[in-house]
Amino acid sequence: MTQTQVNNPDKRMILVCCGTGCLANGSGPVYEAFCHALEGNDQFEVETFAKATGCNGLCEKGPLVKILPDDITYCHVKEEDVSEIVEQTLLKGELVNRLLYRDPATKQYYRSHHDTNFYKKQHKVALRNIGEIDPTAVQDYLDRDGYRALKKAVKTMTPGEVVEEVLKAGLRGRGGGGFPTGLKWKACASTDDPQRYVICNGDEGDPGAFMDRSILEGDPHTVIEGMIICAYAIGASAGYIYVRDEYDLAVKNLICAIEKAKKCGYLGKNILESDLSFDIEIVRGGGAFVCGEETALINSIQGNVGEPWDKYVFPTEKGLWGHPTVINNVETWANVPVIVNFGAEKFASIGTEGSKGTKVFSLVGKVVNTGLVEVPMGTTLREIIFDIGGGIQNGRKFKAVQTGGPSGGCIPENLLDLPVDFDNLSQAGSMMGSGGLIVMDDRTCMVEVARYYVNFLASESCGKCVPCREGISLLLEILTRICEGKGTMEDLDLLESMSSTIQQAALCALGRTAPNPVLSTLKYFRDEYLEHINNHRCPSGVCKDLTEFYIDPELCTGCGRCRRNCPADAITGEKKKTHVIEISKCIKCGECINNCKFQAVKVK
Amino acid sequence: MKVTIDGIEIEVETGKTILEAAREAGIDIPTLCYSEAFGGQGVCRMCMVEVKTGNRKRFVASCTYPITGEIEVQTKTPELEEIRRNIITLLYRRAPNSDLMKKLYQDYSCSEVKGVDPEESCIMCRLCVKACEKVGANAISTVLRGTEKRVSTPFDEESPECIGCSACADTCPTGAIRVVEEGGRREIWHKSFEMLRCEKCGGYYSTLPVREHVTEQLELDYADDSLCPNCRRKKLAKEVAEVR
Ligand SMILES: Cc1cc2nc3c(=O)[nH]c(=O)nc-3n(C[C@H](O)[C@H](O)[C@H](O)COP(=O)(O)O)c2cc1C
Ligand code: SF4
Repeated sequence: MTQTQVNNPDKRMILVCCGTGCLANGSGPVYEAFCHALEGNDQFEVETFAKATGCNGLCEKGPLVKILPDDITYCHVKEEDVSEIVEQTLLKGELVNRLLYRDPATKQYYRSHHDTNFYKKQHKVALRNIGEIDPTAVQDYLDRDGYRALKKAVKTMTPGEVVEEVLKAGLRGRGGGGFPTGLKWKACASTDDPQRYVICNGDEGDPGAFMDRSILEGDPHTVIEGMIICAYAIGASAGYIYVRDEYDLAVKNLICAIEKAKKCGYLGKNILESDLSFDIEIVRGGGAFVCGEETALINSIQGNVGEPWDKYVFPTEKGLWGHPTVINNVETWANVPVIVNFGAEKFASIGTEGSKGTKVFSLVGKVVNTGLVEVPMGTTLREIIFDIGGGIQNGRKFKAVQTGGPSGGCIPENLLDLPVDFDNLSQAGSMMGSGGLIVMDDRTCMVEVARYYVNFLASESCGKCVPCREGISLLLEILTRICEGKGTMEDLDLLESMSSTIQQAALCALGRTAPNPVLSTLKYFRDEYLEHINNHRCPSGVCKDLTEFYIDPELCTGCGRCRRNCPADAITGEKKKTHVIEISKCIKCGECINNCKFQAVKVK
Repeated sequence: MKVTIDGIEIEVETGKTILEAAREAGIDIPTLCYSEAFGGQGVCRMCMVEVKTGNRKRFVASCTYPITGEIEVQTKTPELEEIRRNIITLLYRRAPNSDLMKKLYQDYSCSEVKGVDPEESCIMCRLCVKACEKVGANAISTVLRGTEKRVSTPFDEESPECIGCSACADTCPTGAIRVVEEGGRREIWHKSFEMLRCEKCGGYYSTLPVREHVTEQLELDYADDSLCPNCRRKKLAKEVAEVR
């Protein structure tokens, strides 16, 4: 909503992305090199300085360097490039073309990342500050409307009005369940118990997901501000941020942000001279996926085993230490200051009927542009995957997109025009989850995909209740059998019957959603199951026991690419002559099919 | 508060669980991890029932669902039957060596599955953990995650907390906890205890730590009494008779 840049013409800023992805690609030394080059350099017309920011989302092109107010974006910047950027761009005002973003499809160069397809369709609300500010500088946050919402709430609104505003905005929880945030706050505020708590869920256990991490690392103050506003609205005196154990940088930046917020008087006693007193403590996660489930998380904070309990009484009534507790996801918190600042109506003007605002997705898998994207609710899968994501890698065919994390479902090509929101995804047999989008191409076996996720869930089930602990284990046994060609039609019936029992009887949402990968693939890709069972054949050439590759002599040009790439030396053939796969040597790794430019390698 | 269970209207105190209310009304709901002594755990999910509030229908575990409003409950529907049959199937697959599960597997005409470990008889109902907790020893707990989850002492070693009372084994519905009593010693959970011997009948009963624990808990003093419960009762009866 606030797309404002710090476009101060008297200053020039070099924003070096130091999100986890860019850091891993070496942005640390790039930042150092800029600092070094700028320090004491008096050749610049305007004051010029460098900043380390959070993740910009386009991790694949990192390290990213942005220059403001010129609005220039450089990709894959290395330490060695820094002096050239200083000479060419900062001193002469010329672009370093080779470092500009190049569209993989059109091969066109873009001066600013804002003009690329990857960014054009995005709408940053939760991620509004990330990549634009130094997360360790509270002033940067303040310069971009930071803590203005808190001041507005505390000074001009009653707690009830704040709850109403969040309710009116239609904000739904971004952590998976999509429960209306305002309702949660209202329920908690209306309890008799005066001891209430606020929790931020930053456990983010979905493999491959990093939206919450980016927010915690890149804009910790927005989460803190959201929590303080809630504390004011519901009358809480203590808050906890539960952070996934591996997220060291997030913890570091949070500690720094909490300290600075205290110094500024936004945390502590009598916040902004009001009656509100509120403090935040950081708790490091227990390292289990299930600890992201809110009751397991509460158990974990209390020092108990991270197991969920039946939520027939909501945590808003009986949560942490038995007291009313509001627990929201990191991204949910990041939306709160925006709602209070700009009003519920403005917020609700984005999105669909039932899902307001935007959603951050981590777009990964076989898509050209992988990274973090934030789009209005209701954007179609096609727009996300093909316009923003740039389509499928290596010109292969799209097959399915898996949404919602490990217990989400797989959505097929004919539903690509589905506008993404909470309700549409559930109806399609998948879910929003925390916003994982894993794109799969035609080299993916859907039975194996189901087996893969079920295997993850089998080891992440907490093991408390029978349907989940034992049921997922049986699903895994059956799926493994099918992938090995030993499945039967009775197995399919048992898969379906057990799946429905797990959905209906498991204690927590981990179990209740665990059959999604099985049921959604059975729904949309049943023929693949049948091929495995009846014809002992894996049509995608993935399940090794059921795969045989051959080379189509009509299509083979004899280029030799497959022969050179085969790790088992199973392919023979002379140059420009048809090649042949020696079945006895073939280890079914699929290197040949992946490498053939003429689609000549086929699955029998 | 009025609730309807299987069409029967009953008056219930707020906060009672559906299971308690049903049992009081003489309606039986099957359970495997429930004991009145410990309350609902929500672990086995055999006691799932269908709850209707307004137009909303959902499945809940009756042992943990507290009644706080007017609801309509069904305890026996085809869907619930399927859930229970599947749960028995799963537990038989886990614990094929348990007589209880063998019997239930037959009774429920379950789908054919192969046991994972033919020697296994624990169904992870956790009643043993609850019993140990209640005794106040807290020697055993669940360890690990997912299908690996099991009940054990810390690090599978002998636990300093264990007093050898065998309350765990006595509560176990499948006889999965090994207790060996031989030559005046009781072995349980990797720990060996010298048993107390009744000075009257010579039979072995209980262990020394148990007697100490009970003495401490109840502030009783049976310092010089080394009788088994049976002989002690007889002795007491005789003493009372003499006083009269
Ligand atoms: C197995 C499991 C894992 C979960 N992991 C997370 C997580 O990592 N982060 C999160 O915010 N919510 C997670 N949730 C959802 C939480 O239980 C809870 O609904 C959420 O934190 C509420 O916040 P929200 O309303 O803002 O989404 C998980 C749920 C389940 C069942
Ligand atoms: S559904 Fe799975 S994760 Fe949730 S309580 Fe049951 S066993 Fe644990």
